[in-house]
Amino acid sequence: MALDVESIRSQFPILQRTLPNGKRLVYFDNAATSQKPLVVIDAMSDFYKNYHANAHRANHTLADESTAALESARDRISKFFGTSENQMIYTGSATEAMNLVAYGWARYNLSEGDVVVTTEMEHHANIVPWQELSKERGIELRYVPVDTEKFTLDYDAMEIAIEGASLVCVGHVSNVLGVRNDIERVIQMARSQGARIAIDSAQGAPHEKIKFDDLGADFLSVAAHKMAGPTGIGCLLVSEEALSEMGPFLTGGSIVKRVSLEDTLFHEGYAMFETGTPRMAEAIGWRVAVDWLEENVDFEEAHKHVQGIASWMASRMREIPGITVFGYPEREEAIGVVSFLHDTIQAQDLGYLLDAGGFAVRTGHHCAQPLMEAMGVGSTNRASVWIYNTMEEAEAFVSHLESIVSRFS
Amino acid sequence: MGDESGWSEEIQNIVDRFQSCFDTMERYELLFEYANMHPSVLSMEEWDDENMVHGCQSRAHVECLLDGDGGFIAKGGADAQIVQGLMAITAIAVNGLPPEEVACHDPSYVEEMGLSQILTPSRANGFMNMVKKVKDEASSLM
Repeated sequence: MALDVESIRSQFPILQRTLPNGKRLVYFDNAATSQKPLVVIDAMSDFYKNYHANAHRANHTLADESTAALESARDRISKFFGTSENQMIYTGSATEAMNLVAYGWARYNLSEGDVVVTTEMEHHANIVPWQELSKERGIELRYVPVDTEKFTLDYDAMEIAIEGASLVCVGHVSNVLGVRNDIERVIQMARSQGARIAIDSAQGAPHEKIKFDDLGADFLSVAAHKMAGPTGIGCLLVSEEALSEMGPFLTGGSIVKRVSLEDTLFHEGYAMFETGTPRMAEAIGWRVAVDWLEENVDFEEAHKHVQGIASWMASRMREIPGITVFGYPEREEAIGVVSFLHDTIQAQDLGYLLDAGGFAVRTGHHCAQPLMEAMGVGSTNRASVWIYNTMEEAEAFVSHLESIVSRFS
Repeated sequence: MGDESGWSEEIQNIVDRFQSCFDTMERYELLFEYANMHPSVLSMEEWDDENMVHGCQSRAHVECLLDGDGGFIAKGGADAQIVQGLMAITAIAVNGLPPEEVACHDPSYVEEMGLSQILTPSRANGFMNMVKKVKDEASSLM
């Protein structure tokens, strides 16, 4: 199925927006969050207008409808990611999902001297929980370095780091470089050491069809809002075996069978981890988003489209005096992210100047400060492409960037 | 002082220059120009947690003092030239005034300069935090 970009664009109301300075919005901040098609917005609105009630708590009609919608969303979303509803835990975000690995699995299974491996390329969500747990439990934390010439993980160093490890936590795709890590190889390495393996797929899932059960990972985190779904919801996919080893993380209502003043008996499976009022509107919106993706997006075609635009942008931007592009968005497996800097125009200024032309890009350290340090920079500008972006937008972007450089450097 | 706006002639000239800009990019060019003309720069070596302006999207620092005649001086530094330009204009507006006047300083000239398209809500918030820091420091120097 070829990607019908025009039809896709027409379903995202925000892409028709004009900015206060009269410029038409060109949205290249998709790695931060994607925009939402109207069907998702409408589904959430419909929930609040017509059947909003707290799920799992009451026996009135609205509560029943709300509960059914929440659970059928779990069924639909889990199948979209190639697994079953029993292996999917709703979380507030991909960050919360990685914290759930740390506090719901590692805290119950690892102790002093056990080894957790992560990498220098990670988002803070896959570094900070491990540092905190390491302080609490005396766990040894090992970092796999980034090869800053190839802009890939150093897989030779990873082989060594994984020796004797209990858990390996790796990002599917770098949010800074758009590098698609060889997670299949990492899973194999981890398995050969008998380690559990967690994949942070916040940036991978929007670009690649996840088949969790076939992948062989124990944990995989996803953020709905980066793939046409609402903010405030994500999930952790968990293998059956790993799930059986987990204990409660956030505690309170909903996750318990019985509470006495002395003790608490928790539910089993995913129900042990979803405390508090469920994210009902968000789950309903996400379900519609995955339906929408299935109907409108062939992930292989989408990858060709996104990578083609980013690759073209990177190669043209490298020709602009003073611009450095980090990594290799031109690589076939790269995922639509172009991180760059100008040698005299400061990154924040460049972000403002691009915004003046209507171009939304991210500026900063992208919650990946160890990677920034390895790259020898404090921040970058980042243009990230998704399914609704066009080559015309890319051409306009490069042209505006050229004009900025000639006027401000 | 200039006209009934209460701004100095220098600030009125700046307002006039910004008002004659064709578009946002020209206004940015002017801000870059003023960044380079900052009358009292706080060098990077002087940046610390105490003089940091919180709530700015970029790094910004302000330190205030009185000169030998009791006139107020707002030293400022930012990593972004656009922020540095806004700081420079603020310094031009307040430097040399008695701290009592700075403490009730009204930065409405920024609006008159047509910077509302540039100062989106969070940027405007950063700018107002910077002005508040200047006014707070002026109060403490009174």
